[in-house]
Amino acid sequence: MPSRTVPRLILATVLCGASLAASAHDLHEREPNAGQPIGPSTGYAFALPDPGSYRLPAIRPAAGGSVLDERGRGHDLADLLQGRITVLAFMYTRCGDLCPTATLQLSLLQDLVAKDQRLAQRMHLVSMSFDPDHDTPEVLAEYAATWRSSEPGAPEWLFLTAPDRSALAPVLAAYGQAVSAKPDPGAAGGPLYHIFRAFLIDASGQIRNIYSLDFLDPELVLTDTKTLILNQEQDQHAASPAP
Amino acid sequence: MTRISVLLSQLAIQPWRNRRRRVLLSTAAVLCAGLTGQPVQADETCQSPYMAKITGEEEFVYVWTLGLEGVGDGQDKVVTVDVRKDSPTFGKAIDTDSVGGRGEAHHGGLTDDRRFFWVAGLSDSRIHIFDVATNPANPKLVKTIDDFVEKSGGVVGAHGAYALPGRMLIPGLSNKNHDGRTGLVEYTNDGQYITTHWMPTAENTQGAAVEKVADGYGYDARVLPRKNVMLTSSFTGFSNYMRPLGEVMKDEEAMKHFGQTMVLWDFHARTPKKVFNVPGAPLEIRWAWGPYNNYAFTSTALTSKLWLVYEDTDGEWKAEAVADVGDPAKLPVPVDISLSADDRTLFIDSFMDGMTRVFDVSDPHRPKQIYERKVGGQVNMVSQSWDGKRLYYTSSLLSNWDKTGADGAQFLKAYSWDGKELAPRFEIDFLREGLGRPHMMSFGSSKLYAS
Repeated sequence: MPSRTVPRLILATVLCGASLAASAHDLHEREPNAGQPIGPSTGYAFALPDPGSYRLPAIRPAAGGSVLDERGRGHDLADLLQGRITVLAFMYTRCGDLCPTATLQLSLLQDLVAKDQRLAQRMHLVSMSFDPDHDTPEVLAEYAATWRSSEPGAPEWLFLTAPDRSALAPVLAAYGQAVSAKPDPGAAGGPLYHIFRAFLIDASGQIRNIYSLDFLDPELVLTDTKTLILNQEQDQHAASPAP
Repeated sequence: MTRISVLLSQLAIQPWRNRRRRVLLSTAAVLCAGLTGQPVQADETCQSPYMAKITGEEEFVYVWTLGLEGVGDGQDKVVTVDVRKDSPTFGKAIDTDSVGGRGEAHHGGLTDDRRFFWVAGLSDSRIHIFDVATNPANPKLVKTIDDFVEKSGGVVGAHGAYALPGRMLIPGLSNKNHDGRTGLVEYTNDGQYITTHWMPTAENTQGAAVEKVADGYGYDARVLPRKNVMLTSSFTGFSNYMRPLGEVMKDEEAMKHFGQTMVLWDFHARTPKKVFNVPGAPLEIRWAWGPYNNYAFTSTALTSKLWLVYEDTDGEWKAEAVADVGDPAKLPVPVDISLSADDRTLFIDSFMDGMTRVFDVSDPHRPKQIYERKVGGQVNMVSQSWDGKRLYYTSSLLSNWDKTGADGAQFLKAYSWDGKELAPRFEIDFLREGLGRPHMMSFGSSKLYAS
């Protein structure tokens, strides 16, 4: 186990707009209880496992569906997921808490992967909006420009939306992404309830991990991505006939 | 605020031309999330941290109830109790959904989005999935997993159901040989099998450091995401938990087959790292909630001890007994525990004496009992609201371990807690109402699914 630790950005997996004050990992500082040991790694840090030292079993096939890219061009999401490892995150641009934080983490992941040209060609990032009424291709293009790296070696980062709610519904259902409107559209955190989820999808379209915001750490996702590649190489080597 | 500083420190390493915009966006996000108004949260403090939280008071308590022959339809069922203060049916069972038979109903849990309530049986290893989102006052059975043993590779006694992102973690209690060696099983939220993680044993420690013995037994599984650790506990196998308690207690050989371990796992990699020596069947695990509080409590049923598993100042995880629960010589048999959201108050139920005891655990190494109350002739589960003001107790442990006669009442009792004492709010006699033996509880609210 390497000694380096990952600074953790912990937010509870609560519904956007619900108070986070009493969430699993409170955003407010609380003094430690009296008499309680304060270890060297209090806060948000843990050692990363070595890439390839663990396995990520296939969870389920990643679903497709009708989507639009920033230029308004139509695609089947399944086609966009084939051939490369994908980190897919559901979000919406009016979200005021979980989504921008997650998008920041993705941007840091993009920065990390940019340092590894071989890896950058084998994976990409996808942010998929579940708010098609507001998140038009034009809105997403502007949002993407804010977050996306302009470095030539950075992995691709697609920002997608749906043509309409009817096209979106089966995609959300397939990924188990429940979204509902808050009674007060002006509520803090944005007008929609949702639980943040991101998916690690292998090059053959199988979901291999699902992240809450707790585990959407750039270095950890990078480690998982490398693990997928190493596991695939190990499996191919094991399956090769003896010379 | 630590998280803002963490964000800023991460942002500081970025050379991007749009960095400033990122800082503004992300800081705004965290400020919004952390500093906006704080409606009262009411939620089981013992639930998975990955779960959505209820805003406001809980509206319903879903009770996974073991069928009893001659009582109602005799089947295991989910009973929905109305706990809305102003409702004309406050404190009443307003809906029951039977599952078609008796399979030793025991534990369950909600998915991370709280849309589905999974409940499991210890004897038939079936898992029933209820939709609690479409109409939270009227859950509906939508799927039954009846090939758990086959799919899992031989895990028997589906026990809990613990929410992970998009998945459910099902700890087992046993195996096809009906002893205590078992594993953890993962499913997708819609009930598709993913994988099995077997508990470390003496023959295969899976690389874990072992303090004394690795028995391979299982019971509860709980995750502390920010430390990437999972703790599991250990109970006993099918051949013991399905046998009358009196017989088991008199059988010297059977008494040797109770769990004596807790396992600390690298959660992300799902690999066991350390097997603690915690004799006496450590059962329920409750992680502290505070961001500095790297510890969990458990109680041991057979030795009546409260244990603390904690990260020490040297970064090592350790386990130590920190208190007695009642008089261990009298075998009170501690069962469920519930830690308050501020990590200061721990409720501990003990089955044999029907007591709930309240400990001040502000200093987790030195718990002090501050209150006790006899809840009934027997008591097992306790669930508390997030604000710590409301507690719910149920009576049943196992069909062959529950008491008979005057001490055999089967109930759900609700109390308020003012920090000093419990005051009754309502109770439901599950035998008189033709329901059965109430066991595990989860909270529901229609406000979770506002649209």
